[in-house]
Amino acid sequence: MTSQATETTERHPSNGDAKIAVRHLWKIFGGNADSVLGTENQSMDRDAIRERTGCTVAVRDVSFDVAPGEVFVVMGLSGSGKSTLVRCLTRLIEPTSGKVVLDGADIGQADPQELRELRRHKIAMVFQHFGLLPNRKIIDNVAYGLEVRGMSRADRYARAREMIDMVGLSGSENSRPGQLSGGMQQRVGLARALAVRPEVLLFDEPFSALDPLIRRDMQNEVCRLQRELDVTAVFITHDLSEALKLGDRIAIMRDGELIQVGTPEELVGRPADDYVRDFVSDVSRTDVLTVSWLMRAPAGDEPLDGPVTAPTTVVRDVVPQLARGTAPVRVVDGDRLLGVVGRTDVLRVIAEDQSEGDSGSAASGAGASTEG
Amino acid sequence: MSTAFGAAPTIRADGPPTWLTSRWTQALLVLAALLAGFAVLRGEHAFPALPEPFQIGPFFDRVYDWVVANRNTSPLFLYGFNYLSVGLGSAVILVNQVLTLLTWPGVTVLGTFTAWRVAGPRTAALVLAAFAVFGLTGLWSEAMTTLALIITSVLLALLIGIPLGILAGRNEGFDAAIRPVLNFLQIMPAFAYLMPMLLLFGIGNPAAAVATTVYAFPPAVRITALAIRNVDKGAVEATTSLGSTSWQLLTKVQLPLARRTIMLGVNQTIMLAVSMVVIASVIGAGGLGDAIYQALNKVNVGQAFEAGLAIVLMAIALDRVTAAAGNREYASGGSPVPRLAMTAAAVLAAVAASVLARLAGVADWPREWTLSAAGPINAFNDAVQDLFGDATAAVGEFLLGWVLDPLRTLLTDSPWWLVLLAAAALGLVLGGWRTALVAGLSLLGTGLLGVWGLSMDTLSQVLVAALVTVALGVVVGVLAARGDTFSRILRPILDAMQTLPPFVYLIPAVALFGIGRVPALAAAVVFALPPVIRLVEDGIRGVPPESVEATTSLGSTSWQLLTKVRLPLARSSILLAVNQGIMMVLAMVVIGALVGAGALGYGVVFGLAQNQLGLGLTSGLAIVCLGVLLDRLTQSAARRTG
Ligand SMILES: Nc1ncnc2c1ncn2[C@@H]1O[C@H](COP(=O)(O)OP(=O)(O)OP(=O)(O)O)[C@@H](O)[C@H]1O
Ligand SMILES: [Mg+2]
Repeated sequence: MTSQATETTERHPSNGDAKIAVRHLWKIFGGNADSVLGTENQSMDRDAIRERTGCTVAVRDVSFDVAPGEVFVVMGLSGSGKSTLVRCLTRLIEPTSGKVVLDGADIGQADPQELRELRRHKIAMVFQHFGLLPNRKIIDNVAYGLEVRGMSRADRYARAREMIDMVGLSGSENSRPGQLSGGMQQRVGLARALAVRPEVLLFDEPFSALDPLIRRDMQNEVCRLQRELDVTAVFITHDLSEALKLGDRIAIMRDGELIQVGTPEELVGRPADDYVRDFVSDVSRTDVLTVSWLMRAPAGDEPLDGPVTAPTTVVRDVVPQLARGTAPVRVVDGDRLLGVVGRTDVLRVIAEDQSEGDSGSAASGAGASTEG
Repeated sequence: MSTAFGAAPTIRADGPPTWLTSRWTQALLVLAALLAGFAVLRGEHAFPALPEPFQIGPFFDRVYDWVVANRNTSPLFLYGFNYLSVGLGSAVILVNQVLTLLTWPGVTVLGTFTAWRVAGPRTAALVLAAFAVFGLTGLWSEAMTTLALIITSVLLALLIGIPLGILAGRNEGFDAAIRPVLNFLQIMPAFAYLMPMLLLFGIGNPAAAVATTVYAFPPAVRITALAIRNVDKGAVEATTSLGSTSWQLLTKVQLPLARRTIMLGVNQTIMLAVSMVVIASVIGAGGLGDAIYQALNKVNVGQAFEAGLAIVLMAIALDRVTAAAGNREYASGGSPVPRLAMTAAAVLAAVAASVLARLAGVADWPREWTLSAAGPINAFNDAVQDLFGDATAAVGEFLLGWVLDPLRTLLTDSPWWLVLLAAAALGLVLGGWRTALVAGLSLLGTGLLGVWGLSMDTLSQVLVAALVTVALGVVVGVLAARGDTFSRILRPILDAMQTLPPFVYLIPAVALFGIGRVPALAAAVVFALPPVIRLVEDGIRGVPPESVEATTSLGSTSWQLLTKVRLPLARSSILLAVNQGIMMVLAMVVIGALVGAGALGYGVVFGLAQNQLGLGLTSGLAIVCLGVLLDRLTQSAARRTG
């Protein structure tokens, strides 16, 4: 995960390096989008706009970049516009305004033929409700994308078999989707998307319909495949643990807007507002924050003979080391000393976790009290 | 359907790998075998005639002779059917007399007022327009005769149907017992009902009334039973727990809650009655149907059009009023007193109108107030003929020479056993052994009835009409599913088309194509199209949006979406549409005999008109056999692939 390191330091990569660059994207449902965009209505909140114009602003002025090989997660409450956003990326939903740039080319300018070519070769999507064709055998479902390209039967079957093996469904080639469990069906959905060798994978809550154990399996599967195949992914979920597990960076959406974009650490360590804080209140910081987030320059009087650790170690893992001695843990990159993390630093994080948990159970809106 | 996408060779390779085991390939092989057999054995092995004592036609003729000889002596008739006949006849006459007594202003006032109260001003205007057309075309008394017949037979049908429906709704055993009977009654073509009635009641209104009643009551039973069964279980349970008797449960809970649905059944019954009353003109029911029948016999398109317009307006008006009566309901409750007062006022107004009319001496619609449109319409028709005559004649000739005749020759000139085997083999391929058996037996039935040749002729017409219907229906259905505006425009047209009695479709067909098998085919296609379009559209609209979205995201073209996703996923609806289309075409091809389509339909019509019971009944039964054959084949195709 080398990309993570670069991303943390460089939060807004220039357009040139980005695999996908989204700029000022709007999607307004309803007849008269013109009555919103470019008028004073534009800055009103969603309900007010709906009341005044009858339009629903599903995506509002969203901009972000996704680096090559990155997994970009989008989170938000139901109705916050996640599905709409991800569909705008391949124009399954036509954006109202704004740009989506893939590899430097504006997708909005593509004519229908180019758009089809893009969908056939570069971007594939996995859906919450699978979207399989119940009348086709598994292998024909997986091969569908190749079939519509016009690939010969033998070639596409070979490729489809490979994909079916890859997602662990060998032997089910000739079943129909109705005969498979939900988890297996989503593996088919995944295989179908991977079969076209896409450079970008879009996931819209792919595992929401699955039970927790299967969901974990599938998450591991996606992690593995993404690493093996080195694809760029945009992943929609409303499960925070899923987001933390998969995401190199996470974007939080509310009412169509991006509230915060950052690494898991940044979201947990420095939530932009109460909405985000609420979102991340359930995770334990010690599991997410790394020592590099806490480390500081050693104070003059501190002993520098404590245990060493890598900058990517999470806080939880240095607790036992700190418990063994009084010296702070040294964070090193090879031979170079980057900084130190002492007992009080870690205790502060643990304390924040606990007060967060208390306030969380007492009143969900009491985020401010944790500041005091 | 996906074979239609055969343009690109890469995609042609696309059928299932085991193409030999594909049902459709096998079905094609069966047809190929039939063609081969035809080429070799053409003209040989006609269906052998049975020895005289076993022939069914002559047997029926003997029955008919016996009935005629004994109608006035046998106790069965003296104390049974003749009483019924007289009773029914008087009922029709009585209703007709009430209508006459009211005179046209009285009827118009009463009808318009009722429509206004039940269904609002727009429907009232429609009803008024209908009455105006009855008068202006000079068909007032014919319209009243038809109305009297409809009223009598609908009342009878409801009197029988609703209690049966209540029983069936509350008693599983009775439901199971009556269901096959209803199924059988509904699969019979309308014409088949006329035959036994003719035998038992002779020609005239009583036979027409009974035939109409029998034809129209099944939906009343079915829908009432359904309505009763669908009454909210919670409500039934709650009121039972409060100690209601079974009768209280029925009258206080089940019937009131089921009323809306039952009204739907009433509406269906009325619509069936309208179409049957028209058809019953063949066995001497008077009225508008008779006017159309006579006009068609004379190929007088203008006259037929006038009477057709009258019956169409009557059908639509009756449909709107009863549909609104069902929808009205709890909201427009109001207290009963003003309602009673309103009714009284309406009746008084009607009586006053009729008295006034009598005083003014216009109790009958004055002759000088009629506007005959027949002349201008005939002129217009001639003009159309001049313009398009060549084109329609060319289409007609093409259909006859290249499609209808070759297929008929194939079916009639092939050895009978080969056709039978082919039908059974198709049954085997599409359904299984049972379907094969039913298919074979039903075709054998037509032969045993002694009308093999006529049946093959009819079959060829049905197949061609069904093919055209399905092709058109699928195209239009797909377009409607894809275009909301188109669908919105189409829907009321289809609604209107489905309320028209089948008879009426013959009129424009004759206007365009003259007389013969081609206009019958055209009428059948138009008649059968609406349900096919509906089913295809619903099927395509029912395709899960997730599947469409997912395949779009993989870069399908819209043609690929249609052929690889939408049509395959809508397959069972489409096959159901094929089934419906074929059954409706079959019903209509018989009616097409009235414009010279010949074959079995002619046997039925001629048999009815000329008292040739043998010919009529055997032809009617052969139609039922064909119906069973086609229904089985298409239904099992739908089920197996569904
Ligand atoms: N086709 C549409 N027409 C009108 N409004 C729509 C349409 N699709 C979505 N919306 C509205 O846009 C907003 C965002 O919807 P979207 O489906 O993108 O939310 P989401 O974040 O994916 O929610 P969920 O987590 O429930 O899937 C919602 O208010 C929704 O009602
Ligand atoms: Mg969504």
